[in-house]
Amino acid sequence: MTTVMIQEARARVTVGSFSQMPDAAAATVPSEESAEAALEFLTEMSPDLRGAAILGAGGEVLAGTGGEPERWGEDAAALFAAADGAEGKPVEQVHVATEQGEVFAVRNAGLAAVTVTDRFALASLMLFDMRSTLRQLASPNFTPPERDESRKGDG
Amino acid sequence: MTPPKPHRVLLERVSVYADEAAAFMRRRRVARRPFARLYYPHGRSADHAQNSRSGAELFVAAGRLIEVAGKKQKG
Repeated sequence: MTTVMIQEARARVTVGSFSQMPDAAAATVPSEESAEAALEFLTEMSPDLRGAAILGAGGEVLAGTGGEPERWGEDAAALFAAADGAEGKPVEQVHVATEQGEVFAVRNAGLAAVTVTDRFALASLMLFDMRSTLRQLASPNFTPPERDESRKGDG
Repeated sequence: MTPPKPHRVLLERVSVYADEAAAFMRRRRVARRPFARLYYPHGRSADHAQNSRSGAELFVAAGRLIEVAGKKQKG
């Protein structure tokens, strides 16, 4: 029953949930290469991270980990739809902690990021990293951060 | 009866603090229940219980995302 409700909500508000971003007007459209570089940097900064995706203003997946990037788009839309529907207002951040892991979703600068981490990840740090990644990615003079080779294999 | 050697006192104290910290972390893991928290502009946040309608939708959506992310790759 709940799954059916989610499917209905997804169909109804997939586009709407992304266009309700509080500062959507400030959005610039980053290239997929920039989004991938930003995602790689976010992954490198967060040792608890299992997977993540960066989404554009229309809900399209700009970059995602794993082999099914389109699923990130669908499921992130469902999460934002459920979150916006809770009080009928667009949310800025979502944090759901389950027994299997934790899910974070952030809207910032007209973009959105979704991450999945291990349990007991430090929420404030995770949300801060996601917000700053999106803010940097949306800025017109974004340059991909240089990869720190010395941290390779840490963790 | 001779007093314990100073370095042993120090070691014992450190290990007592370490045991306390470990117990605190264990209690935190056991006590922490699943939750869904939404943050709105201007810093307001709201918790949604798992058995509420909105909470259930959030947990279902989060479960799908966890499935997409899969297991963490070691190394």
